[in-house]
Amino acid sequence: MMQLSEKLETKFAELLRRYPRKRSALIPMLLFAQDETGQISDELIAEIAKRLDLRELEVAETLSYYSMLRRKPCGKYHFQVCTNISCMLRGGNEIFERAKKRLGIGHRQTTADGLFSLEEVECIGACSGAPAMQVNYDYYENLSTTRVEEILDKLRAGKDPKPTKITSGTLRPQRHPSEVPVISRRFGLPNSASIDTYLQNDGYKGLEKALKQMTPEQVIEEVKRSALRGRGGAGFSAGMKWSFVPKDTKKPKYVIANADESEPGTCKDRPLMEMDPHQLIEGIVIAGVAVGAHQGYIYIRGEYRYVMNILDRAVEEAYDHGYLGKNLMGTGFDFDLWTHTGAGAYECGEESALMESLEGKRGYPRIRPPFPAVVGLYGCPTVINNVETLSSVPAIIRQGGEWYASLGTPKNGGTRMFVLSGHVNKPGVYELPMGFPLRRLIEEVGGGCWKGRKVKAVIPGGSSTPVLTASQLDTPLDFDSVAKAGSMLGSGAVVVMDEETCMVEVARRIMQFYAHESCGWCIPCREGTAWLKKMLDRFHGGLGRREDIPLIGELSRNMLGRTFCPFGDAAAMPTISIVEKFRGEFEAHLNGRCPFVARELAAANR
Amino acid sequence: MADQVTVTIDEQKVSVGAGSLVIEAAKALGISIPSFCYYPGLSLQGACRMCLVEVEKVPKLQTACTLVAQEGMVVRTQTRQVVEARKSMVEFLLTNHPLDCPVCDKGGECELQDMTVRYGLASSRFVEEKIHIPEQKFSPLVYFDAPRCILCFRCVRVCDEAMDVKALGVGERGAYSVILPNQGERLDCEECGMCIDICPVGALTSGTYRYKTRPWELRYVGTICTHCGDGCKTTLGVRADSIVRANNRDRSGVNGEFLCAKGRFGFDFTESKARLRQPLIRRDGRLQPASWEEAFEWVAARLKGIRKEYGREAIGVAGSSRNTNEECYLLQRYARQVLGTPHIDHVRSADYGGLVAGVSQSAGASFARCADFAEARTLLLIGNDPTQQHPLLAYNLRQAVRRMGARLFILGFQEIKLKRQARQMVVIPEGEMDQAIGHLLRGKSSLPRDVATQLDDLKTQLAAAPEMAVAFGSEVTGESIYDLVAFATAGGRMAKIAALGDYVNSRGASDMGALPEFLPGYVRTNEPGMTLREMFRSRGKIRALHVVGSDPAKELRLPAGWRNAFELVVVQDLFLTATAQDADAVFPAASLYEKDGTVTNTYGEVQPVRRAIHHASVRTDFDIIRILAQLMGGELKLRSPESAWEEIRVTVPGYGVSTEGVLVGQACKTTPKISDSGRRIAANGVFSANDTLFTSGTLGEYCEIIQSLPEAQVSK
Repeated sequence: MMQLSEKLETKFAELLRRYPRKRSALIPMLLFAQDETGQISDELIAEIAKRLDLRELEVAETLSYYSMLRRKPCGKYHFQVCTNISCMLRGGNEIFERAKKRLGIGHRQTTADGLFSLEEVECIGACSGAPAMQVNYDYYENLSTTRVEEILDKLRAGKDPKPTKITSGTLRPQRHPSEVPVISRRFGLPNSASIDTYLQNDGYKGLEKALKQMTPEQVIEEVKRSALRGRGGAGFSAGMKWSFVPKDTKKPKYVIANADESEPGTCKDRPLMEMDPHQLIEGIVIAGVAVGAHQGYIYIRGEYRYVMNILDRAVEEAYDHGYLGKNLMGTGFDFDLWTHTGAGAYECGEESALMESLEGKRGYPRIRPPFPAVVGLYGCPTVINNVETLSSVPAIIRQGGEWYASLGTPKNGGTRMFVLSGHVNKPGVYELPMGFPLRRLIEEVGGGCWKGRKVKAVIPGGSSTPVLTASQLDTPLDFDSVAKAGSMLGSGAVVVMDEETCMVEVARRIMQFYAHESCGWCIPCREGTAWLKKMLDRFHGGLGRREDIPLIGELSRNMLGRTFCPFGDAAAMPTISIVEKFRGEFEAHLNGRCPFVARELAAANR
Repeated sequence: MADQVTVTIDEQKVSVGAGSLVIEAAKALGISIPSFCYYPGLSLQGACRMCLVEVEKVPKLQTACTLVAQEGMVVRTQTRQVVEARKSMVEFLLTNHPLDCPVCDKGGECELQDMTVRYGLASSRFVEEKIHIPEQKFSPLVYFDAPRCILCFRCVRVCDEAMDVKALGVGERGAYSVILPNQGERLDCEECGMCIDICPVGALTSGTYRYKTRPWELRYVGTICTHCGDGCKTTLGVRADSIVRANNRDRSGVNGEFLCAKGRFGFDFTESKARLRQPLIRRDGRLQPASWEEAFEWVAARLKGIRKEYGREAIGVAGSSRNTNEECYLLQRYARQVLGTPHIDHVRSADYGGLVAGVSQSAGASFARCADFAEARTLLLIGNDPTQQHPLLAYNLRQAVRRMGARLFILGFQEIKLKRQARQMVVIPEGEMDQAIGHLLRGKSSLPRDVATQLDDLKTQLAAAPEMAVAFGSEVTGESIYDLVAFATAGGRMAKIAALGDYVNSRGASDMGALPEFLPGYVRTNEPGMTLREMFRSRGKIRALHVVGSDPAKELRLPAGWRNAFELVVVQDLFLTATAQDADAVFPAASLYEKDGTVTNTYGEVQPVRRAIHHASVRTDFDIIRILAQLMGGELKLRSPESAWEEIRVTVPGYGVSTEGVLVGQACKTTPKISDSGRRIAANGVFSANDTLFTSGTLGEYCEIIQSLPEAQVSK
């Protein structure tokens, strides 16, 4: 029996109470233990295996899937520098290079004194504050190389480097006039996360109405009427998804909030949770009322630890005030809610892989059909929606679906949070009506392309979406219009690239992300992303061949539509769009040099 | 929902059971849809994407291995889209897969090679660096070449789902995913080798076969594994008269592709340096080599002398559980007709006589076939630890529970691994199995109350089952078998019953009358002879002992000096066993892999054995007995196993099965009967050697491959 600290023992005991199946506690247990011990030792694996009635092999194979879990110790201060697209566009690579130089170590290495370690990471959800990094769980946004040095010095001296406390670009002295604050309306209020503020601002009124004045069917109808479509990326009608849950079943039902926000360019769930956690909680419980579920989980990505702490406090407040637990508002309806931490895996944002992860396993997606609404968590009917989707529900119930729908465009109801990042003057998170024109978002809300430059390309909805060119800026930003333009609204992450951006580097960096995150389950994605990443590395490194250019498109098309889950499409589509729309830039690299010398990529150290 | 659905595949209609997968429907039409990860009997994955097909009205290609056939579905497997998709999958797979064919053991029987030839591109467009991981030795028997792995996860699933050992897992993510063994870098498992044979490529290979040969250089001989009583068919791969490997990839026989460590790796005893290679005669107090002629004449002379001096009944014969039916049959004819003695027995590990009597006298009971334990919905296991002693039975029981939803109930003296599959296991106090069975039948016994309550509970759970398959070990003998049959068939229930004997022909030895109280086919003798134990306690009545293929000195734990009770001890065996060491004459015998004939598994199914290799220095027991019979003045007129088989088929009750059936390797069910009741065998005449996965009586001691396994060291 391995000796663990009292704090950890308490945490473990508490974790085990959250789940009907022990194994679900595995990944949280591993992460919390690692926070304390620094790494996951063989002894710890044996201990946790024993406690969860698992074989050691099961613990080892599960933990090795997740990027945040490590078998070797790292430094006291673990620097995780993001170089994914939004950060790369604003100097993320230079930040990483400076950190390397100052620390004298490389990727996944630790200084000899054990004080610092360094890792180049994928998108950490700070895109509106790019370039950004984490030191352990603290965020540092809007970095410069000078600031990085300052942070290093402060840490070495034992002083507080003053991490970024909230998502950059979400609070402004004044909202932009085009913004329509529905779900972001409480941002900026004093103690906006507290239940008192929430209750003073229409808090839990939607839940009350749903419980006391509506039938479950009516709740679903209202959400259908609102034309609320999934805000995580797929854009599926939320009301329709809820209606798929079977009415008569002896199995328990679940609601899951997908807070795994990892789509590069996206950091809109993070501010929603940190500044208005009760809105999310209310939305989850209303979903429970609608489908007859009495248990919910918020699956939140491991890197968002401070946000999870905020959520945990809010959940506690809700229990204390009777908005969670037994007999809510005297109606006899029970609902329990817990947070659940991930540990670094983009694929766990895919709904079925998320459920596998929640069950304590490797994040592989499941065979569909059956879909989660019928066979979900623990094989039971499950509603799983994005944080923003669920956060939109209270307002819909309070003010009516018709009202919500009217804010947007036909079949694309309401408003949504847009994350504007990259080469704009005012990167940030903005709530705008669905259908808001892309051009206006960039030029009016975002203050236009930075440094007086022109826009070359725009990613409209996160790195999984095909790029739009400068000639396509008049696209309205709703699901159907962006689809018509040949891309997707996705997660609402709008990444702007100026005329000095090397599109080959963009394609390379995006493929690096997919190769890193591919779960490995199916051949085309696993081998295809790995191949394309190596090819693009070589290409941007100066050794590209003419035949590589059509090959990039062909390999991507060989993945498209043939993979086990949409991840393959997410890797293929943007690559195809870049190589088709910017073929000239690829050809320009054939002479072994990148025309955008100022952005020369160090292709080594991958 | 309709029972059948009709689908159209490549313009051909086929009707299949509702719930069938499209890949299976296509197979019914003879259309082969390629797949790596899909494997009948294992959980579905849809991961490799090789089986993508076009389905009318569906925009994306669908995996045929996860798509359930629906009425009216129209599927196409040869369109340009599908052909392109397959080509691209093979191309993707070959990017990290190393070009190891020249040195890879799987070459020539590799599914990736086959797929590439059939569906792939003629050249590679990959010019990047491949991921390379050095080879790993998971165990002496299982080597892992990670770069070759295509991550189909068949190995993980077969070890987990089919074998319930769960020693393999998957680590890391993406293209760096890798198969992990369960003990750091090693495997601690049952070393069955299922993972090796199920691997479509050369990622998991056999450590004993590594780099030895090419599959097309082997001569393949289908025969029956020489070890336990399950009677698995095994295909021996022979090169230059040496067995190089064994597997059952053609899935014939009662075992499909299942084989345990002994079936797969327990063949090297045939080439052990300890094999007897010439006859031995004791001269000047020592066993010394002699020629065959010398040895035969010497033995015949001595036997005749003893017969003359003390009478025919002064000779005892001990038969083998590992010889063929023909040899057992010949041996009892030799004993009874040539020597004229009624004293013939063998080391018995199951009360087959009791089983036959019990089944004969009950209308609802019949003999269970091996396959019945994979198909029945209600299963009862009494005694035995099949995981160790009858691995095929354990495999079948697991599949029945996992795939058929069967309910398994177990009674035993201690908990066994199969408990994990059992609905209920009742632990019976040591030695009280007859009480337990009596309790099931009569509702009362002298058992402690908590055990009695559990038995009552078990009985209740079994009450509604309309039929049941029952297997019992050496713990159940004599009267207890009658009780068991009565319980199993109570209330009109149909019960299929099997007794579990240790070795490959334990059943055949009994069926062929190597027993003092039965002639072949369980015909009662007029004057039963002595049992084996009685022969060793005969106080001078038995003067000569002729031992064939067994080691009573060890198995009966005879005291040192046992030999002095006899004037003559003759032994036929492969090795110098404890019995042979004290013998006067020893004949070097052939193993089961060196002879033709038939054997009957513990379930009563007759199967053919075929000679795979030939050692000039040994003779089959059949030949040795035949020659001795001739020299003893009794011409048996059976020159070959074939002629012996024909006589058996015609004269032995219950063995009237089709020769053609046996010749093509069908497991032909025998139907022996005993219609009278008579003297019951003493219960202590039956005991099991309690072998494990890594032991197998005398043979097992000389299976060096298996003895070298770390798991074998631990279990000693």
